[in-house]
Amino acid sequence: MPGYWVMKMLEQFFEPKAVAVIGASRKTDSAGYGVLKSLLMGGVFESDTNRPFKGKVFAINPNAEDILGQKCLKSVLDVPGIIDLAVIVVNSQIVPSVMKECAAKKVKGVIIISAGFGEIGIEGKKREEEILEIAAKAKIRIIGPNCLGIMRPSFNLNASFGPCMPKDGNVAFFSQSGALIDSVIDWSLEKNYGFSAVASLGNSIDVRTTDFLMWAENDKNTKAIALYMEGLKDGQRFMKVAKEVSKKKPIVILKSGRTQTGMKAVGSHTGNLAGSYDIYKAAFRQCGLHIAEDMDELFEMAQTLAYQPACKDNGIVIITNGGGAGVLCADHCEGMGVKLTELSKETVAVLDKSGKMHPAYSRRNPLDLVGDALHERYSIAIDTVLKQKDVNGIIVIQTLQTMTEPMLDAKAVLDAMKKYPNKPIITSYMGGKFSRKSVELLEANHVPDFNNPYKSAIAMKALIERGKWLRG
Amino acid sequence: MLLNQKKTQELLKKYSLRYPETIIFNNLEEITNKKIPFPCVLKVDSQRVVHKTELGLVFTNIMSVEELRKKTLDAQAILKEKQITAYSFILQETVKGTEIIIGMKTDETFGKVIVFGIGGIFVELLKDVSMRIAPLEKKDCIEMLGEIKAKKILDGFRKFPAVNKDKLVDALMKLSRLAMKEKSISEIDFNPIIVNEKGAVVVDARILGDENA
Repeated sequence: MPGYWVMKMLEQFFEPKAVAVIGASRKTDSAGYGVLKSLLMGGVFESDTNRPFKGKVFAINPNAEDILGQKCLKSVLDVPGIIDLAVIVVNSQIVPSVMKECAAKKVKGVIIISAGFGEIGIEGKKREEEILEIAAKAKIRIIGPNCLGIMRPSFNLNASFGPCMPKDGNVAFFSQSGALIDSVIDWSLEKNYGFSAVASLGNSIDVRTTDFLMWAENDKNTKAIALYMEGLKDGQRFMKVAKEVSKKKPIVILKSGRTQTGMKAVGSHTGNLAGSYDIYKAAFRQCGLHIAEDMDELFEMAQTLAYQPACKDNGIVIITNGGGAGVLCADHCEGMGVKLTELSKETVAVLDKSGKMHPAYSRRNPLDLVGDALHERYSIAIDTVLKQKDVNGIIVIQTLQTMTEPMLDAKAVLDAMKKYPNKPIITSYMGGKFSRKSVELLEANHVPDFNNPYKSAIAMKALIERGKWLRG
Repeated sequence: MLLNQKKTQELLKKYSLRYPETIIFNNLEEITNKKIPFPCVLKVDSQRVVHKTELGLVFTNIMSVEELRKKTLDAQAILKEKQITAYSFILQETVKGTEIIIGMKTDETFGKVIVFGIGGIFVELLKDVSMRIAPLEKKDCIEMLGEIKAKKILDGFRKFPAVNKDKLVDALMKLSRLAMKEKSISEIDFNPIIVNEKGAVVVDARILGDENA
């Protein structure tokens, strides 16, 4: 299916003009209230990222006069004009009748928040089939049911009952768990992470992971995709789509359900050797996906891949003002297959001649500038090392000594980023309180910074793998 | 259903997978006039026997007719004790080289999965294997060889002779082709496929599938 068509297909969800909340509620602890408030104000909790939705919002509730100052309508059929998107938050038993009204109103997309479908058994499964039939006839696309909703910060759209609007950014996050999204958003505000889109997949009876991937492939705001997955219905189809999408945009995946307690007894040796998560991992690697081991890695890798260029080849340099920190980082790199490039004679000669190096500086990779390094020494070292052809990226470590200049060191990194746009730079500002401001400066400029050099190595490894995948 | 020796060999032949010179017999009288390739291996083929080695039904390095007679009688005694009546004997030439395991299983999410590892403790104890979803490309096969921890063994290490990697890649490609084409086959073990500098020989194949399909 051509990409632009998929783009159009999900447009009613991510860039609608008019949204109806069917099941808007007065009860402040209900999802129906949360969704309406999120659309009207940008979020349930107060946050400076919240923006009211620019398009029209309609509250549907036959028993209420008005909610949050919004006049309520009895049915979606009473809405004047076109409705692109309906968010359904009613009891699952009346979802089919609400769907029929949406069909009559020619609604283009519905997000069914309500639970009580396939996840509860046969009765719910039947209800899913019923609404799918209505949707197929009326050409309505469905996200959910049993989901949290979606968010599109760049479009001021929060059609969910999540805590608030996340920061606008370039990572699309699709999750098979809605609850996880709640926590990720809260945490992303602290971390300065932004999103191009967030979507909760729910039971995925119609719009599936693969549809979201194809949409994100063509979305201008998305530079990397983060996926949280519990399971797949059609592995072959997923592989086909993921392989195509990952040629254009990096995909990072975190898969849960990795330990298999009740593995079926199988009749062959091979059967016993290939556990379910092993097979998932093999499949993911075959389509160029980056596998995250935990939540931190999922977003750290996605952020890094979104904003830093891929490594042309495997071979990087560590620049540090602390010998121990440099060796620690080198150990991590070696452990995960990140190669350290040897400094060339020319590079060392330039550093020697600069007159700014400490007499005891290391002259090799990891390049230890010694503890009293000021920003000038960092600046010369970063520039000289990046000039060396077979250096494909650098990790800059800063330990906080009394004379260290965190802000100026960060500026040296930013200058280098402009001068060498094709070589990734990852920093490891080891510290906390006293480095906070400079870390914020780095983060605001999309330099991946990690207090822990291990994480810097993981991020660099992702960029090396990305380069390898793109080379084919 | 475990495919019998005849069907197994037919399938290997169809996909140009090499197997050792083999003589199938039910009792010793049948082979009195046959030329036997010593040193040879004697095995039992039966639907009732899944793990031959564990039951002591594999005899290696047989050097003479006398020894073959003795081992056959030993096997018959074990089979009698286990009350297994439907079986035949397989006699194979001995192939020297490194014991590799390659196999296939059917996964409900992704379909046919190809698994590769080095035989013995590497697979049995350390589960040192690499895998890919079929169909495989040549590039996948080469990567698979490089992904196991014990990959250095493939270049020759102590008692393990170096293996012909091209032939091993070739065998993986053939297994992938077999897996994709023979829809009725659900699981395969080539355990071992012996690989030396000259080539790869499937010494023991266990193929599970629907024989009538």
